[in-house]
Amino acid sequence: MTVLWTIIALLGMALNLAFSHVLVQPDWALAILTGTVLAHRGAWLWAAPLASVHDLLFFDSLWGLLPVVLVVPLALPYLDFHLGPALPQRFVFMLLALAPMIMFGVPLASCMLTAACLIPFWHFMAGYYARRA
Amino acid sequence: MIIKRLDISWATLVVLLLIFVIALYRVPAASWATLGMGPVLEALHAPVRWMQDVSLWFEERRQLQREYTALKRRLEQLAAIIQRTRSLEEENRQLKALLGIANIEGFDWQAAKVLGRSPDTMSQRLLVQTRQADIDDVVVSSEGLVGLVVESGQGYAVVRTILDASLSVPVTLPDSHLASLVRGQGDELIIDFIPWEEAPGVGDVFVTSGAGGLFPPGIPVARVLRVEPVPGRMYAHVEGQPVAQWRKANWLAIANRHGAGHRP
Repeated sequence: MTVLWTIIALLGMALNLAFSHVLVQPDWALAILTGTVLAHRGAWLWAAPLASVHDLLFFDSLWGLLPVVLVVPLALPYLDFHLGPALPQRFVFMLLALAPMIMFGVPLASCMLTAACLIPFWHFMAGYYARRA
Repeated sequence: MIIKRLDISWATLVVLLLIFVIALYRVPAASWATLGMGPVLEALHAPVRWMQDVSLWFEERRQLQREYTALKRRLEQLAAIIQRTRSLEEENRQLKALLGIANIEGFDWQAAKVLGRSPDTMSQRLLVQTRQADIDDVVVSSEGLVGLVVESGQGYAVVRTILDASLSVPVTLPDSHLASLVRGQGDELIIDFIPWEEAPGVGDVFVTSGAGGLFPPGIPVARVLRVEPVPGRMYAHVEGQPVAQWRKANWLAIANRHGAGHRP
């Protein structure tokens, strides 16, 4: 499953690079990686290298998705302990993951599409990890 | 057991962070990553090319005839333009010889197909397919300057556009002694060192001055958008936009300096 999503994330990056000028499309890799880490924080080990490749390709910097992927597994247990396991803190991290797109000047339509892809994917991955547990 | 697992996770995290920090400051990792995507992007473009080729078979005869007539007319117009260009070229050569200006024919020009571009507006790197390119080769579109080659590999090159904050281009206004620098700032350009008394008008076009020898002189770079005085300073705040429209261009040209491959 991890290999499949890695290939899809890499393919998504290639699609973004190849056709970003002809059609508005979501940031596929960002949606997949953020959705996975939010669904299961233990997935950061798999997501971090891909997030770094994503950030280097699209933002020419590592200050994009990577910090969020690295902070989520550290901050979520703390927040869940103090606030109780719930969605609001996860939504905050979702917005934090989307923030670099706006910061680096990706069109707003692309950001909205990414959010629209991220939420169902997050739901799907949460179900997948729940079944596996 | 849990503590052991946590230790492994923390150790991995620290090692990863160290690698990223070292990579960030020591190697052009972003350019390498983009360059590595070259064959994948080429493969992604292939079906689009095939579709275009196949669609040609289904074009209607009448439409083809119409296109043929339009192309024939265009060809005649181009022939006239070429004729005029030749006479201007000769006139230009003679004037250059008279003035003793160095000829910019010291560059080899080659076409490069755009394969990919980063979707952000801050760095705006392009991946182009080219026969051969060297680092610091100048990239232009049909309208003006696009940027510089920052990384090149087997048949591909990564281009950093003039919108990138790390690039500065020496520019001037045609028929003036003004010497200024254009640098990128996200989706706009800043034109530095312009005295307020000599500030250009909105819509004026800055061209490369050729200072420094990196960029050939006379290539349009930036069109002025805003000119504002800065209180207490002699230089004006001038903002512009690139003349070249590389977001839509499929083909660019790369200027390779003669003997550039032997640069240290």
